[in-house]
Amino acid sequence: MLAFTIRRTFQSVVVLLVVGLVAFSMFRFVGDPVDNMLGQERTGADIERLRTQLGLDQPFPVQYFKFLRGAVQGNFGVSYRQGRAVSGIIAERLPATLELAAVSAILAVVFGFGLGVFTAIRRDGWAANTIMTLSLVGVSLPTFLIGILLIYLFSVELNWLPSFGRGDVVDLGWWRTGLLTESGLKALILPAITLGLYQMTLIMRLVRSEMLEVLRQDYIRFARARGLKERVVHFRHALKNTLIPVITVTGLQLGSIIAFAIITETVFQWPGVGLLFINSIQFVDIPIMAAYLMLISVMFVGINLVVDLLYFAIDPRLHVGSSGVKG
Amino acid sequence: MLKSLLNGALALTLLGTAASAETFRWASKTDPQTMDPHAVNSAPVLGFLNNVYEGLVRRGKTMAIEGALAERWEAIGGDGWRFFLRKGVTFQDGAAFTAEDVLFSYQRASSEAADTASWFAPVSEVKIVDEFTIDFLTKAPNPIFPDSIANFMIMDKGWAEANSAVLPSKDEGNYATLNANGTGAFKLVERQPGLKTVLEPFENWWGKPEHNITRAEFTPIQNPATAVAALISGDVDMINPVPIQDAERLQQRGGVTVIQGIEARVIMLGMPHKAEMLKYTADAGKPNPFLDVRVRQAVAHAVNVEAILAKTMRGAAAPASQLVSPAMRGYSPSLEARPAYDLAKAKSLLADAGYADGFTFGLKCPNDRYLNDEAVCQAVVSMLAQIGLKAELDAMPVRNYWTELRADNYDMYLLGWSPGTFDAEHPIRFLAATPNKEKKLGSWNFGDFSNGRIDELLPMIQSEIDDGKRQEMLNESAKILQDEVAYVPLYVQPLVWGTGKNIALTQRPDNFLILRWVTVN
Repeated sequence: MLAFTIRRTFQSVVVLLVVGLVAFSMFRFVGDPVDNMLGQERTGADIERLRTQLGLDQPFPVQYFKFLRGAVQGNFGVSYRQGRAVSGIIAERLPATLELAAVSAILAVVFGFGLGVFTAIRRDGWAANTIMTLSLVGVSLPTFLIGILLIYLFSVELNWLPSFGRGDVVDLGWWRTGLLTESGLKALILPAITLGLYQMTLIMRLVRSEMLEVLRQDYIRFARARGLKERVVHFRHALKNTLIPVITVTGLQLGSIIAFAIITETVFQWPGVGLLFINSIQFVDIPIMAAYLMLISVMFVGINLVVDLLYFAIDPRLHVGSSGVKG
Repeated sequence: MLKSLLNGALALTLLGTAASAETFRWASKTDPQTMDPHAVNSAPVLGFLNNVYEGLVRRGKTMAIEGALAERWEAIGGDGWRFFLRKGVTFQDGAAFTAEDVLFSYQRASSEAADTASWFAPVSEVKIVDEFTIDFLTKAPNPIFPDSIANFMIMDKGWAEANSAVLPSKDEGNYATLNANGTGAFKLVERQPGLKTVLEPFENWWGKPEHNITRAEFTPIQNPATAVAALISGDVDMINPVPIQDAERLQQRGGVTVIQGIEARVIMLGMPHKAEMLKYTADAGKPNPFLDVRVRQAVAHAVNVEAILAKTMRGAAAPASQLVSPAMRGYSPSLEARPAYDLAKAKSLLADAGYADGFTFGLKCPNDRYLNDEAVCQAVVSMLAQIGLKAELDAMPVRNYWTELRADNYDMYLLGWSPGTFDAEHPIRFLAATPNKEKKLGSWNFGDFSNGRIDELLPMIQSEIDDGKRQEMLNESAKILQDEVAYVPLYVQPLVWGTGKNIALTQRPDNFLILRWVTVN
């Protein structure tokens, strides 16, 4: 177990270094930040001076090395657009994204599992069929379209919910939360549904098909033959065994909830890191882009690690030959 | 935890009471990147800070110059300008406003670290005469100097020194990046970059308020569809811009007013005047046809501006014949006619130039800089195809665009120009003068247009005190630029704002929202 964790952590570091390198080498094609930082009456000399100040005149390996050296110390430099430390800006924006992602994930998991199990057990009922049909919508419609449709319906036409933003937030000192105010909760509903819908339908369809698969197996038949209650058969014996693939996918989906929050955040002007990233691309704010990409890759790598460790907890087979079975 | 909950509840009640007053919430695409009036010379920053800081002079509803922190001013012969400052003005932190602050702000705004230094290029010295009189001496007579410093905002010397913000900082930021202390009608009460910026009226402002706002909240909303939805649902009171294609639909909808106007920005086509060869398509490497004035004239005659305005801009823009719009000082009314849309003439001009069969070339275009810029370029491509000029369009985000133009990677390009001084001299200096790094001339003249007479006229225009003579020289310049087809001006970009029905405000051609003219009913 320990060896496994160490090996996995080492692999993760390599992945992060590669991500950093790829991301950094791509920034040169994103555009020139200097043009955005200076007004139209700038001169060539102004451009050169600012470029030197920002260290953009240095060769690529030097820039990358400097970035790494800072990043290891938790220093991602100063945002070109805001003139403030990137770490501070990200820390300011992260709560919004994490709250949105957490609520969406909870919605996705709770409804995904619930509906998945329901549609698997009541395979031929009209309710299950309706849910299955509707779930196609969730899988096939792109996120931004769902967001705009929801805004149109609930904000513009019905005027029930705010069309953008995060509402009022309460500052807890180290965390600004929108979960404690009425307007904050109202503002959370539409983006959370938008962001979680795809994941919810995905989890639901996965749970359903895995569950159907398991329900066909012999041991379920035996369990029924022994006269166990349907509830026990479904939840104790069947559901538990559908969990392994579902947890893998769900775990990875949690990572993408945070990463794909970009689109939802743009549609709802949700003040999280995704929106920050989109704005920083437009402005060629390289320090912010670099920090964001590193953050997201750390998250993905971390989630993968946790998912792998969860396998151990859930699947007893992996314990048996623990050193050789899983690599 | 309990305490923070209580705090939250308290904050809620406070917000509840504030909302009942006249709160004005507006949204725009770009967040002002700094609260420092000297750090970035861009419309979002200057427009926003015009509500907080004030200059010696300011622009009124029709863009005319009027006194702000200076009550009046006069020319000191041809040596410069003397400003008589308003007495009894205080900054928002309570400090008194004097000539010392003007001198300090001049030094700050004209420093190398500032982005506004070009405004002060003509200035040789600034001298305090007494506590409320200050002289701006210029190297040569400068008739438009007061006009050119309408956005030069005055900062308190003591405040800047106490907060170590004596110089603006573009790359690292300082106290003045996030805080503000002006003399304007509104003070900054909350600043969350990229999220929300809140202003409240400054109770000791020297002027008489024309507004009834008690709180103004600005939120940047980048996605146009979100902004429109926010306006319709009443979550914001004003948005800028309204996407042109949505303007009509919004107008018909109850509860929303669309305000259309003409901006100061002229959209034009630029061509290489010096490059020897074409750089793109199959004809790359062949001699540059745009060196021939007849080819440039043919382009001007082949573009059907009326059609672009009707289809792509939905009737919101006005055709342009010069590098400035009719609203600018120094516009030449006698030269208001555009080259007529005339395909036969364009073809015969091309034939005369030896290009009866046309040629192919590359057109560079931004796709996120001007309103519908890429669509306009596509229209231009199809119009030029009618006279046998086959353009290959390459549209890109503006963050890549200027780099390409600076590297001369184009055969034709689209450019918009908004004169910072609102005067016809401005585009001559930046777009038409022969590029010269030392003299800081022609820095946006990517095509290297060069005309001896223009270069001769420019310094004369800059220093001519007599308005009549100055206008004659501006007319002559405009005539040369038209005859030589230095650029093909297309149209003046429209301004389209949307407001709630209960909002009354003034739309100024510089696209600044001036809060002291806003009333919430």
